[in-house]
Amino acid sequence: MSTKSIIQASHVTKTFTEPVEFKVLNDISLDVERGEFVVLVGPSGSGKTTLMYTLSTLDTVYDGSITIDGVDIKSLTKNALADFRNSMIGFVFQFHYLLPDFTVLQNVMLPAQRKGGLTQDEMEDRAMKTLALLGVADQAMKRSSKLSGGQQQRVAIARALINDPKIIFGDEPTGNLDTKNTSMVLDILNDLKTEYHQTILMVTHDVEFAKRADRVISIRDGRIVDTEEHYSPIPAVRP
Amino acid sequence: MKQFFAQRPLLRIAWVHLFSKKRQTIVAMLGVMFGVTVFIFQAGLLTGLQTYFIEKTVNTTAHLHIFNDVRTSRPQVLDLNSDTSSTWNVVRNQKPRDEERRLRNGYQILRDIERDPRVEGVAPYLGLQGILRYGMSQQAATLAGVEILREDQLFHIKDNLVSGQLQRMETLPNGIILGFGLADKLGVRLDDNITVISSKGVALEMKVVGISKTGITLQDNTRAYVSIRNAQRLLQQSAAYITDINVRLRDVDIAQSVATEYSSLYRYKAEDWKAANANIFGIFRIQNLTVSFVIISILVVSGFGIFNILMTIIYEKMPDIAILKAMGYRDGDIRVIFLIESIAIGSTGGLLGLLLGFIASKIVGMIPLNIQGFVSVQYLIINFNPLFYLAAFCFALTATTVAGYFPARKAARFDPVEIIRSR
Ligand SMILES: Nc1ncnc2c1ncn2[C@@H]1O[C@H](COP(=O)(O)OP(=O)(O)OP(=O)(O)O)[C@@H](O)[C@H]1O
Ligand SMILES: [Mg+2]
Repeated sequence: MSTKSIIQASHVTKTFTEPVEFKVLNDISLDVERGEFVVLVGPSGSGKTTLMYTLSTLDTVYDGSITIDGVDIKSLTKNALADFRNSMIGFVFQFHYLLPDFTVLQNVMLPAQRKGGLTQDEMEDRAMKTLALLGVADQAMKRSSKLSGGQQQRVAIARALINDPKIIFGDEPTGNLDTKNTSMVLDILNDLKTEYHQTILMVTHDVEFAKRADRVISIRDGRIVDTEEHYSPIPAVRP
Repeated sequence: MKQFFAQRPLLRIAWVHLFSKKRQTIVAMLGVMFGVTVFIFQAGLLTGLQTYFIEKTVNTTAHLHIFNDVRTSRPQVLDLNSDTSSTWNVVRNQKPRDEERRLRNGYQILRDIERDPRVEGVAPYLGLQGILRYGMSQQAATLAGVEILREDQLFHIKDNLVSGQLQRMETLPNGIILGFGLADKLGVRLDDNITVISSKGVALEMKVVGISKTGITLQDNTRAYVSIRNAQRLLQQSAAYITDINVRLRDVDIAQSVATEYSSLYRYKAEDWKAANANIFGIFRIQNLTVSFVIISILVVSGFGIFNILMTIIYEKMPDIAILKAMGYRDGDIRVIFLIESIAIGSTGGLLGLLLGFIASKIVGMIPLNIQGFVSVQYLIINFNPLFYLAAFCFALTATTVAGYFPARKAARFDPVEIIRSR
């Protein structure tokens, strides 16, 4: 096992049986290195989201094996897996999933409170710093539902970062944003990569996004077709 | 409050959920509250009356009662001596023997029992029916021929006297103590002279030396105490003639076993107070069962209320649950959130119910009623036993926790992948 790789997936195959038997991931093997910014592209229905869920430990029903930071994911119990995600992984989805009745600060602190180990003040301090990093510190005391879409997505990124995770996973994090907000989020992720050497794995349709990545992985019909090559956004015909 | 929640995200989430569903939460709480109120009130009222009645009964009936269980219809002598399968015997007007009611060696048994260390007191008794006449008014009465001091030791007659003195039964040769209702119906007062006439046609002139009120209506309306000697005179019997022996035990709970022992020892029927009042206890049991049913149904219904609100919240908050799980909250954490919610509803509703039940009981206990029925009471007697309050609260909490458990488990089992995908 190379110490450089943080994610190692080998021969991951996933089959849906409902409504018809269907191999959504077909023998996927890949390595992601520490500090690498990887982008997953591919036509709609090709299995990008599904692959992201399996690589990020949310989905554990597949054949093959996935190792993150040297830990075989399938060997973990449910609770251990939750704790592992809590400290190792941050998520940014297309939708922000902020708790609407909580303030921005409370939302960002949620993963830290689950993790524990810090005093309330330390947690707040850290949350404020993260919010500042994303340019939304002034919104900290507002209810999250009162923020604009772009602000909400930045708060969601702050929440993903609060526990200093080893990897950030994203599924079209700019999918719901206009061009201005999209480029802002892209800049932020870029900064994270260049300044903080954050490992990032993103699913996207965004060409801009793909351009900034260290590596682009193309998926088609559940297979990796050609790594490194830039994705052309012409949708393929669904199988 | 802020500080408290700051360190407890699960509590804050639970609080926010309930607060976002104020109306439904309040309705669910009211359901629990209503159940607990009914529990407290009904149980207090019912057992209050029952305890009162049992107390009265224990004080007015003997723990043990020894008597000659006379079979009024004797087997026909002719039937005993001939085969009834082929013949048909008719003997009309075969009468019960009067003499059979007496306890032979009554006083000997009495002295014997008196030496039993388990026994607190023994009293002889000779009961008869009589007519009391005072001027033009007359009333049928059950005359109790007693040794008044022994009787007092057993039944605390002195405590029930509303006027007069017990000692005068001893000092006067012809004293009589009347039940309150009886005296009222006859129109006699203390120190008035009345005539007592027995079924044997004996008439005695007696002086009212006391009026007693037990609270048990039937007794107060029919009972009169005379000395055992006068009772014997009214029945034209000798000085050894008694029909019953009443026993008071030091421990009322052993009555049944002592009863069996005595009946085999003295060959007379010995009945304990519970057997003597078996029908009443049967009624109590049915009452308790009915009330338990009502209470359980109310709590089950309030349980459904909680189930309902939690299910609504869970489906509404699915995205929240999904993201919490994605960010590393365990299944157990999610379960705890919804259990907190149901316990919060249950305990708040329960506490309100305890309070309301207490207030309702207090208020009803203050309304003067003057019931004249089974027992006569001025106010409803309500049992404020703290055990009821504890039981009601535990019951409410159990019902709500069970009702909350299933939604909580469901929420904990949600698959975040499915939820996030469907967004
Ligand atoms: N739970 C499921 N049961 C059955 N089929 C599923 C399930 N989830 C996803 N699929 C199918 O698996 C395939 C891959 O889905 P996935 O969401 O991974 O695609 P994607 O590459 O992310 O597409 P998009 O770009 O549109 O988001 C699709 O054909 C989808 O219909
Ligand atoms: Mg997708």
